[in-house]
Amino acid sequence: MRSPLTQQPIRKKYFTKNGLISFFSKAQLENIKADNNQVLSTIDVGTGGIQFSVLINGFHFPKATMEEHFNEDYMESSKYPKATFKGKITDLSKVDFTKDGVYKVNVSGDLTMHGITKPNFSTDGTITIKDGKISANSKFMIELKDYNIKIPKVVASNIAEKIEITVVCSYPNKM
Amino acid sequence: MSNATKILILTSFLLAVIVLIGVVMWNKPHRDVEDASTIKTTPDDLYNEFVKDSAQAKTKFINKVVSVSGEIAETFANEQYQTVVQLKTSTPNVFINCTFEQKEVSVKKGMTIAVKGICDGYNSGDAEMGLPGDVVLVRCYVKK
Repeated sequence: MRSPLTQQPIRKKYFTKNGLISFFSKAQLENIKADNNQVLSTIDVGTGGIQFSVLINGFHFPKATMEEHFNEDYMESSKYPKATFKGKITDLSKVDFTKDGVYKVNVSGDLTMHGITKPNFSTDGTITIKDGKISANSKFMIELKDYNIKIPKVVASNIAEKIEITVVCSYPNKM
Repeated sequence: MSNATKILILTSFLLAVIVLIGVVMWNKPHRDVEDASTIKTTPDDLYNEFVKDSAQAKTKFINKVVSVSGEIAETFANEQYQTVVQLKTSTPNVFINCTFEQKEVSVKKGMTIAVKGICDGYNSGDAEMGLPGDVVLVRCYVKK
């Protein structure tokens, strides 16, 4: 069966304004998960360029107090309102955007949060093509100290030093 | 009762009160958006305020409950099956991006509705991204 992408000229760039990025902290005293469902992301199927932009105060927690501490004390969201990733799929040739499938890829680029940019940040993920629609998934760890995010000792047993980040983005829109 | 016992009882009582206050504060609920008072605006005014004077718009709107009336450009479910409504602005590809906390939302494309929700700000990409951003409202309800 021909996918819809093969029935029309392939557009280069796709985007979403409602992707999902979650983080998960597994610590001694409690596990904390927060979600942001307003992730702006583009993917260029011609060059492999992939970008994400997310508002820090858009992460929502089960408890109001967690959200306040996250924004005011740890991420300083009024000073550093966004986190961004600007990079490329390094092995784009593995992906056939005209054929349904799940393609394992590597992504590398600049990850910026809390005012600090880590160049050449690299992680693995998947590109899924289903009925001609593109989606991207990834799961990776970041260390808070790499982004100068300081956790007071009094709550050190509540928050992990390494945080698991999950990215789930479907790209329904063409540019 | 000796003084030492009295001090011990008093200290234990104070500690218990402090712990109780801490637990109550830690577990305080999220704001009730549905019944909160709002700042009324329109999709164009809200977007233009962020574009013209970002600092002033942040002070005025971010983390505030805002109500916006406008036409639905598109509605769909996000990755966590929450209803998303995009309200039209007069700038192409710029919307007021509303994610609903309300469970059953009866809306469709083309309808004019009033939405109330917490304003998270304006999420824009850089010039290289080539994509205008949206003003984001979360924990939204249809305003009755």
